[in-house]
Amino acid sequence: MATKLMKRSKKSDDQIPHLSKELCNRLLQDLERARRPVLYATKCSLDNALYNHKVGFLTPGDKKVATELNVSSVKKMSRAIFMLEILLRNIDTGAVNTKRELYYISKGEIKHNPMLKPLDFADQPESDAIIDFICEMLECYREELNCYANDRGGQTYSQQLVVTETLPDGDTAVIDLSKLGTSPFQPKNRPQSLKLSARKKIDFCLIIESEGTANTLVANGFTKRHNCILIGAQGVPSNAVRGWTKLIQDQLSVPLYFFGDLDAYTLQNIYRTLKAGSAASLIRNSDYSAPEVRFLGVLPEDIKKYDLNDYPVKEGDAQEGRALKKAADALKNDPFFQDKRNKGVAQILKWLLEHKRRCEQQAYFTVDPRDPTMPEKIIVEKIKRGNYV
Amino acid sequence: MAASKKKPVASKQVAKESARSGSKTVVERAAKAADKAAQEQAREIAKSSKASNKITTSSTAEYFSKNLQQVGFSSQIKATLTTLKEAVDNALDACEEHGILPEVTVSIEKLGAGSIKNSDQVRIRVEDNGPGIDPDDVPKVFGEYLASSKFGRGRCSRGQQGIGISAATTWAQLTSATGAKVITKTKAMRKAVSCVVEVDIKHNRGVVKNRETIDWDRPHGTSVEFVFDGRIQLNGEAGLLSYLNGTTLVNPHLTLHYKLPEMELQTVERVTPTIPQVPEATEPHPHTMKLGEFIAHSHLFGRVKTSAWLKRGFSRVTDATISELTKGGIKSSLLEKSVDAVNETDFKELFTSIQNLQLMAPSTKSVLSIGEESLAKSIRRLGAVDFFSVVTRKPTICDFKPVEVEVAIARLEDRGIDPDSPVQILRFANRVPLQFDKSACAIAQALTSVNWRAYGLHQPKESFPVGPYIIAVSVVSPFIKFKNASKETIDASDELVEEIRRALIQAGQKLSKHIRREEKANELEEKIRHIEQFGPILVQGLCRITKAPDSRRTKAEEGLRKLLGRDAEVAEQELEQAHTRLEAQKEKEASRQPVVEAIEEGVLQGD
Repeated sequence: MATKLMKRSKKSDDQIPHLSKELCNRLLQDLERARRPVLYATKCSLDNALYNHKVGFLTPGDKKVATELNVSSVKKMSRAIFMLEILLRNIDTGAVNTKRELYYISKGEIKHNPMLKPLDFADQPESDAIIDFICEMLECYREELNCYANDRGGQTYSQQLVVTETLPDGDTAVIDLSKLGTSPFQPKNRPQSLKLSARKKIDFCLIIESEGTANTLVANGFTKRHNCILIGAQGVPSNAVRGWTKLIQDQLSVPLYFFGDLDAYTLQNIYRTLKAGSAASLIRNSDYSAPEVRFLGVLPEDIKKYDLNDYPVKEGDAQEGRALKKAADALKNDPFFQDKRNKGVAQILKWLLEHKRRCEQQAYFTVDPRDPTMPEKIIVEKIKRGNYV
Repeated sequence: MAASKKKPVASKQVAKESARSGSKTVVERAAKAADKAAQEQAREIAKSSKASNKITTSSTAEYFSKNLQQVGFSSQIKATLTTLKEAVDNALDACEEHGILPEVTVSIEKLGAGSIKNSDQVRIRVEDNGPGIDPDDVPKVFGEYLASSKFGRGRCSRGQQGIGISAATTWAQLTSATGAKVITKTKAMRKAVSCVVEVDIKHNRGVVKNRETIDWDRPHGTSVEFVFDGRIQLNGEAGLLSYLNGTTLVNPHLTLHYKLPEMELQTVERVTPTIPQVPEATEPHPHTMKLGEFIAHSHLFGRVKTSAWLKRGFSRVTDATISELTKGGIKSSLLEKSVDAVNETDFKELFTSIQNLQLMAPSTKSVLSIGEESLAKSIRRLGAVDFFSVVTRKPTICDFKPVEVEVAIARLEDRGIDPDSPVQILRFANRVPLQFDKSACAIAQALTSVNWRAYGLHQPKESFPVGPYIIAVSVVSPFIKFKNASKETIDASDELVEEIRRALIQAGQKLSKHIRREEKANELEEKIRHIEQFGPILVQGLCRITKAPDSRRTKAEEGLRKLLGRDAEVAEQELEQAHTRLEAQKEKEASRQPVVEAIEEGVLQGD
């Protein structure tokens, strides 16, 4: 359903070089006429984030950051053009790199051409910032510039899922997850090249915050007993987890549930990012969010219902204190939590702020410590009864 | 006493032995002898106890000889510095008193090991071209405590009580068994007198030894030499060089020659031929007195009417004050009465009434300033400076005492100094450098209270600013409130700290115009450098990506130069504005002091 709404898709491979040349040509023309060129980049922050439940993820507003060429910005612009040249070369040859590798590639270029010495980066954050600036100017994400982060999180288990990968050379690889034994499938940061199919009808996809708990459920036979896909998110979802979840949502049309801790950090930083993307990635949220994901728990009512072990938030702890402050801020300013369709999660945030208590997903193991399948039973019962937000 | 205690025991033993012998007469005799011995012992105890309770008086010299640490002789390094300081202070005061342009020669040398453990035997000789000392006064000046021509006069002289130089003689006497060797000659004398002065500690008297008349090749002057145990420290805040530099800074009229160990003879020429006129003291203000002082003050006037005494003997007491006193309940008969006939009760009533009156603040006429002009000249004697600012505040009243604050800030050309090290701070009280116990001083407190970042200096939070600067602060007052007798720290009263702070702020504002101008010049340089560095790289990168021909590249480079050139023009305009502001400041100062302009212009040309 959401697929139809998400029209902004990844730019095709020749679109980036074309856009880049257009941009550079415009700059050159301005300079030829001794006119001051101005570069506009999308402002990627919460104050420029919009949320429409029909779209399903955070989209950028109209705010732009203008960089005018002057004595102060000439260094930044020169660096951006220098880095863009490297990235365009990568796109041309099909080479991919991480940000760190690009930092060293730029150092190498400078080493071999002393004229470029003034552009030298003192450290990686300087070159990272220039890569981000290029993305914002071209309104693309770095994967589109062949710049990938290393794959992290998203280990997937299923007895039904089959993945077909198209390799850069045109070959295809078929991965039947039921044949992997206890090993999980590791999704890539570029999930767009994958095609998904099911050997049998898949009933649901469960994304679990803790990689360890996902492993335990699999070891205890969860995926054998249920026709499902089980993913370990490993904390804040990486691009791989986000893109992979979206792919499952779009290609398999199965219900998706997120199971994680009951705390402010999980709701804002993990669940919201998985479902609607983040303010920092406004440009690429369309490809890296799965709006149909539902929050299965832990819900505040689960604490009483299952007599779960909860405990007070340590307000003195810097991280927890910050999460609470951020939660209060999110309720006021985050368009996702302000949308009435997301009232359920907003109310959980309010409950957390009011009660200042938290409960971890592993608390399900306390319900019957002698029954290792008890968490599984609770999860399945909650799905059946529609006990999620 | 221990022996006398043993006596009765011995006598009793004799008695016991006699008793054992069985003879009654012998026993009686022995008993009598024991009694006699006991009585004698009691008498001796009474006598000794009477002796120990007797209240004795000791001389001032005796007191100071046992407490030399209170007057600057608490360590061997301080002993050297204090000896030098006292001798130079006396020389400068004497020259100023007699309108002579001072020329002082200082010689310090290490003679060998001292008698105190880990000390050196040091010789300090200070020679001046002052008026010389009458030979009869020599023992008083160098060998008698509290013998001063300046005590309580309320003038801005360096020395006040007449303790310092006698303490130096005492220190030399205690550590090397020889006093001060003095040669002096007044204008009236044909030959000079040479002698050694020692302090008669028991009687607080100067004793002259080895007196002889000698030929001395100068018309008048004094040379004093001390040999004592001490340590020589040349550098650092407490170093001799810091003292000598500071002394030359606040005495622009001084020509100083100095010879220090392992250094050639140095000469610092005077930069002004004007001898500072130490203003005469004004009459005391009644609000600065205590009752006892008030009564004692009346004794100086003999048989005059009380109202006349009040008007003549005090400042800020006028006819209006007298009538206000009458309105306040003081009987006219008391004011008409001769002051030597007023009793203590009436004095007390009069004193209390005056204290309750609103009087004008004390006069500030008695303070002496170095002046911005002289400071501006003098600060350049400290070394090559990029630029500087000087401020002389108008005399004001702090804690009911007239005071004047002057500040000089200079940036040194020598960038060898660690940029993160605190600025060099020179503190002065009545034109004498203060070199110890900086943190408790009013000057230090005022310095840290100023936000120097606003004037372009770097400053860690609540600390002294950092960088290659010298900040000199001079406080001049006839009544400086020191924290200790060795005059190392000025008491930090809120009013005085605020007054110093204001002077520092003014100096900072003036200095900031120089710094801003320099920053703008640096900015312009940086911008031009940016254009030259990045312009071609940017255009070439764009041309490579767009595969543009060389003709486009040349045109774009020209366009870019024009664009960035406009930015440079803006920077140039800003520099011009900063320069104009600085010039305006200099003109303003020059309208007050023409000489300052000439000097600053010289500095800027050298920039």
